[in-house]
Amino acid sequence: MSVPRRLFLALVCCLLTAAAAACAPPAPQVSPAAAATARSGTQSPEPPYDIRPLLKPSGKYLGVAFNGSPRATAPVTAFAQKAGRQPNLREYYAKWGDPFQADVNRAVWDAGQLPFLVWEPFSRTAAQIADGQEDAYIRQFADAVRDYNRPLALSFGHEMNGGWYPWGSKKTKAADFARAWRHIHDLFTDEGAADVIWVWSPNVINPVPDVRLKPYYPGDAYVDWVGVVGYYALSGPTTFRTLFGPTMKEIRRFSGKPFLIAETGVQAGESKPAEIADLFAGVRARAGVLGLVWFNLRKEADWRIDSGPLSLAAFRKAAAGGSFGFDVHNP
Amino acid sequence: MEQNDSTMQLPVARPRPRSRVAETMQLRVLRPARSGYTLRPVPDSGWSAKASARRARVSRLVLLALLLMQAALSLRLQNTAFEDEALYLFAGHAEIGHLLHGTPLYGAFDSYFSGAPVLYPVLAAAVDSVFGLAGARALSLACMLGCTALLYATTRRLFNERAGLCAAGVFAVAQSTAFMGNFATYDALALFLLALAAWIVVRASDAHPLLALLAAPVAALAVAVKYASALYLPTIVLLCVLTAYQHRGLPRALGRGVLLTVGVVALLGAGLYASGYLSAIQSTTTARAAGTTPSWQILRDSARWGGLAVAVALLGAFSYVRSGRMSEMPGWRGNLPGARWRAALGLVLAGTALLAPAYQLHLHTEVSLHKHIGYGLFFAAPLAGVGVTRLMGAHFKYPQWAIFLGVVLLSSGMSQAYDNFHAWPDSRALVAAVKPYVNARGSYLADTYEVPVYALGHDTSYRRWNSTYTIDYTTRSGQHLTGAAGFRAAVAERHFTLIVLDRGNPTGESTTVRDALVHSTGYRLIGTVPYATAWGTSRFELWAPS
Repeated sequence: MSVPRRLFLALVCCLLTAAAAACAPPAPQVSPAAAATARSGTQSPEPPYDIRPLLKPSGKYLGVAFNGSPRATAPVTAFAQKAGRQPNLREYYAKWGDPFQADVNRAVWDAGQLPFLVWEPFSRTAAQIADGQEDAYIRQFADAVRDYNRPLALSFGHEMNGGWYPWGSKKTKAADFARAWRHIHDLFTDEGAADVIWVWSPNVINPVPDVRLKPYYPGDAYVDWVGVVGYYALSGPTTFRTLFGPTMKEIRRFSGKPFLIAETGVQAGESKPAEIADLFAGVRARAGVLGLVWFNLRKEADWRIDSGPLSLAAFRKAAAGGSFGFDVHNP
Repeated sequence: MEQNDSTMQLPVARPRPRSRVAETMQLRVLRPARSGYTLRPVPDSGWSAKASARRARVSRLVLLALLLMQAALSLRLQNTAFEDEALYLFAGHAEIGHLLHGTPLYGAFDSYFSGAPVLYPVLAAAVDSVFGLAGARALSLACMLGCTALLYATTRRLFNERAGLCAAGVFAVAQSTAFMGNFATYDALALFLLALAAWIVVRASDAHPLLALLAAPVAALAVAVKYASALYLPTIVLLCVLTAYQHRGLPRALGRGVLLTVGVVALLGAGLYASGYLSAIQSTTTARAAGTTPSWQILRDSARWGGLAVAVALLGAFSYVRSGRMSEMPGWRGNLPGARWRAALGLVLAGTALLAPAYQLHLHTEVSLHKHIGYGLFFAAPLAGVGVTRLMGAHFKYPQWAIFLGVVLLSSGMSQAYDNFHAWPDSRALVAAVKPYVNARGSYLADTYEVPVYALGHDTSYRRWNSTYTIDYTTRSGQHLTGAAGFRAAVAERHFTLIVLDRGNPTGESTTVRDALVHSTGYRLIGTVPYATAWGTSRFELWAPS
């Protein structure tokens, strides 16, 4: 081969190698394996779950909270047998920092109950959350909720107007609480967690009459239900109107969202059967009240439905009427 | 040894007198040992450079194999309809309804389509009515296979069969060819018509000028199918002049070029006058809105998608200008075109490959560049064919060059075509999620509304859908609003039954709409549909009145 031809071929070789290198695709934003995994994962046969029919159902929610919820199932069965009615909502508590347990919540939903998660920010302040210091955790939690793809009622920092929790009125500014709520909501929306029913859940104002609720309210765009917490204790109001009425009246001044009695019970005593009947009658009579969640525990007092035979009979009778415990799968 | 040689001797006819040089190429002439058997005179070479039935048959068989490979490369690409495909198909159905039944048209397709809406969309929609999207895409495949066949035929006439086959091979494995061969838009048909026009002018170069004029309606139709095809008309006219010049001389060649130009311009002028598509041509082609894509990115992607093939074409042009001889026949003495003609042909063909990247650099947009690269590649491919044959050398002396190029072009073409064909999400999950909310009365807003409109054509009408680009909204109080204000008002008044936003590819006022939704009490996020493309993962968001 002549020298000029060798030089020519060397030049051509360099040119083509450079052009071949230019043909190489740029580094993708995700690895091919990850993209393939995502592609296979995105072809889930499950369409997104539309929770809107659950927001204002024609029936009433009959919820229950008990020890061991949400993982334990035996207490639900026992409650249903005693109450004569299958509950359709199950409330449970989760500490800030806990992961979202999709499998457990899925089991709850499959068993016919709407999971109602009460998120308790013991370890972080509302200001820290609002300022974005917990974004990674919130996003991770929201991703898990999104992938769960079933309804979930969620209450952040319940009883915020009381002074007994770290996120309550004595240790947290109302503006910080509202800001934290909106921030969490925005992150959930940003992550695509669409199946959350946001339950803003103050305590009844009777024990804290000086704390105004409106400053804690994040706004109608961030709330689906107002979940009022109130108990028929031996001392205090003993009727639905006097126990919940003042709180509902105050809330109606700034929000038209439907109510849920998010935590309630009647303390054991002679008047318990009558007060149980009053509670159910109060919920049934008000279209704006979606239902109630019975605190079926013995904690500081005996709130269980079977604290006495008359109480149990009264509960069975009250729950039997109306549409308490409707089928949440076909609301 | 002498004894053995004598046993091998055969009687041969006495050769004609030869030159001294030629003598050295012949067998030693030996006196016949025995009489009774005589060989004919031995030719200079064991093969002929002249055209023959066997040569044509072998070439066509190789071409057929290339076409089969091209079809396989296109058909391996699988994805749901891209938004442009969906748009042209449902627009075509609307046009058919208008043409056959007088159904009013509402899309104003002629104001923003980059080709005449009554040509390709109608043809594709007619095919779609019978065979679905796969049928419409098969139409494109047929066009692209036709392009490759015409490329071979054109290159064979300009150079020879081997260059033609190499050109067809380079073109067949390119990402743009595989992509357009399974993509139901104007491009494949427009490129086919351009290829046909180019072939006609080359084929008719030694025929009557009126035969070359047959290219005029074909080229004009290519421009009507896709307005941007006009970019390649000068190449066809110059090709006409150059090829005619070899047979007819300069004055007649120029006359032929003028005749072709006048024919094409007259047809296009008449079509423009009759159709009134001037504003659409301006908005989509000649005065297209400039983008913001940096120049380096356009250059980089142009190099990735067509750089190697164009480099080989440049090499072929350089080599062809240096030596015009295409025959390997020893002692071949044919008529060679002059060096200036060869340089002009190289400049025209290789330069055409740079037109689309240059125009998109001017506009700072990369939209459809991966397809437009293919237009220029068609014209540069003949030179790439020459480049490959020259690298291989006479008698396949250096086959490793062709193997190297074949491997690199094939592998890069396959991977790039796959990536480009998966640059948009598989919409099956989205369509399934949207379907329960769609009916004939609702009002819908979507980032890429074309895809659900096409997929759910039996349940809804394109008239019920709004893109996030423009809105013309009248509020309940009678206020007339457009743009961002119009979208915000429509959200505030809960005008839309369903809103579908693409988080990975927000278009138009999508961000404005989403901001309004996030802070709205009238809408809520009712679900998300995740997706993955070749470049990452994202999701669609479905918003509905709360």
